[in-house]
Amino acid sequence: MAERQSISDQGPAAIFETGIDPQVYDPIAVMPDMRCVKLGGQSLLDRGRAALFPVLDEIVAARNEGIPVLIGTGGGTRARHVYSIASDLELPTGVLAKLGGYVPMQNARMVQMLTAKHGGIYITDDDFEKLPLYVKMGCLPITTGMPPFGYWEKRDKDSRIPPNRTDAGVFLSAEFLGCKRAIYIKDEDGLFTDDPKKNPKATHIPRISAEELIARDLNDLILERAVIEYLRRAKWVKELQIVNGLKPGQVLAALRGEDAGTIIYND
Amino acid sequence: MNKLVKDDGRTHIESKLMRESLQDRKVLSGTDSTVDRRILPGITLVSIGGQSIFDRGKEAIVPIADELAALHKAGNKMLIAVGGGTRVRHTASVALDLGLPTGGVAQLVGAMEELNAVMLNALLAQHGSTTMPRDHFWDLPLYMNSGILPIVISVPPYHFWEPPSENGQMPEHRSDFGVYQQAEVLGTTKVIYVKDEDGMYNKDPKEHKDAVLYGQITLAELLANPPETNMIDWTVFSSWETGKNIKQVQIINGLKAGQLTKAMAGEPVGTLITKES
Repeated sequence: MAERQSISDQGPAAIFETGIDPQVYDPIAVMPDMRCVKLGGQSLLDRGRAALFPVLDEIVAARNEGIPVLIGTGGGTRARHVYSIASDLELPTGVLAKLGGYVPMQNARMVQMLTAKHGGIYITDDDFEKLPLYVKMGCLPITTGMPPFGYWEKRDKDSRIPPNRTDAGVFLSAEFLGCKRAIYIKDEDGLFTDDPKKNPKATHIPRISAEELIARDLNDLILERAVIEYLRRAKWVKELQIVNGLKPGQVLAALRGEDAGTIIYND
Repeated sequence: MNKLVKDDGRTHIESKLMRESLQDRKVLSGTDSTVDRRILPGITLVSIGGQSIFDRGKEAIVPIADELAALHKAGNKMLIAVGGGTRVRHTASVALDLGLPTGGVAQLVGAMEELNAVMLNALLAQHGSTTMPRDHFWDLPLYMNSGILPIVISVPPYHFWEPPSENGQMPEHRSDFGVYQQAEVLGTTKVIYVKDEDGMYNKDPKEHKDAVLYGQITLAELLANPPETNMIDWTVFSSWETGKNIKQVQIINGLKAGQLTKAMAGEPVGTLITKES
């Protein structure tokens, strides 16, 4: 029988065992100055103009200061509606992930229409390699927050909802680009010791480590669980910043690299 | 589930998930049930190894292509997925030396599988094959009902968004996983991995004379007793644990004439891994 024709002769090891020593791996950052920002679906877009316009004003202001920004949009209530019906139909997680991608796409297009006069452009995954052009031209690229896993999204135990949604997608964009932070704009100041809407004595947590957050084993979380897990393994992203888009100034501060809201960090 | 609700500053659509946090474990478990709907249950996914078959050239590829053509002619409904082989490994080796991020490697490798898809299609086109973009599977009923044999690449489309790996820089979602996951979401009958060994061994049989072949084994037994070296990416088995549709994964020797035909006929050749409900 014919021998395998190998380019390098490293034996029949697993296909990705490349013989590169992990200690020698010297990673390059692709576009480390980019601010990867998630615009919350339920928390901002579903609130309409009252919530969204001031946030977009601050993003445009940051852009005018020369800060490069990539916006990833969330889904919100329409995604919940389709997840709900698809779950009743017992459709697999991969199909839900595909369905869940359409709503953030609509939201990205809405944001594009609102920001077009300031350079807002809607981009798809295939446009990702053109980010340097968009930044250089002073544009504001807007994309879906959903990662492209689609039908290949793995199912979680005890859940039909795709575990990698728009929080994860924005995180993974930031990690690929070599950014230090991923920024999440929501309708809360970040993390509290308890639900501030129910417990007035709850206090704000300005900084917390991913490890401590995982150790608390909370039944609910402000970000997708996958993101906290990825943060612990990431090469570049060291911090997740959650800011309140309903409070003037927080978004601009975050885009300038200042601490605002809650920062979840990896040691 | 069709009312718009506007009472807290947000516009909601009434549904079970309205206003809910999709991170809340109780909410999440409410979306689950014991089964996933099978979308295309009558199809078998057949994976043709890159290094194990394609890199051996004509002597290995042509007999497998002939066997696929005969199986297709006999009415078996198959989706063929191809691996990339040593060109993938070379890509990754160069990319890592350059310091490209994990997502960068994931973005690059699919192209090397496309090459094998094109070559296999050149051999099988006269028997009705076609290359299919891997996510066009809503076209599969059309292909199946008109006697067309679709060929796809295997690697999942995680691209730049490949999550950081638990160990090292290499993408963890690779070709074997992509094949399994495509079968799982479609709810196909089973997955057959065509490799260049008689099945799966507890260690690499190319290096260890005393390697033991797993014959028939359950997924639970395999997870409890994992091999020292993996000929199939371990992500397949860790994902299969939470999957609901696939009940059989078979690993066979594509260098031995007739093994694929036997596996398609339901015979337990090679290694047959099964999962109880």
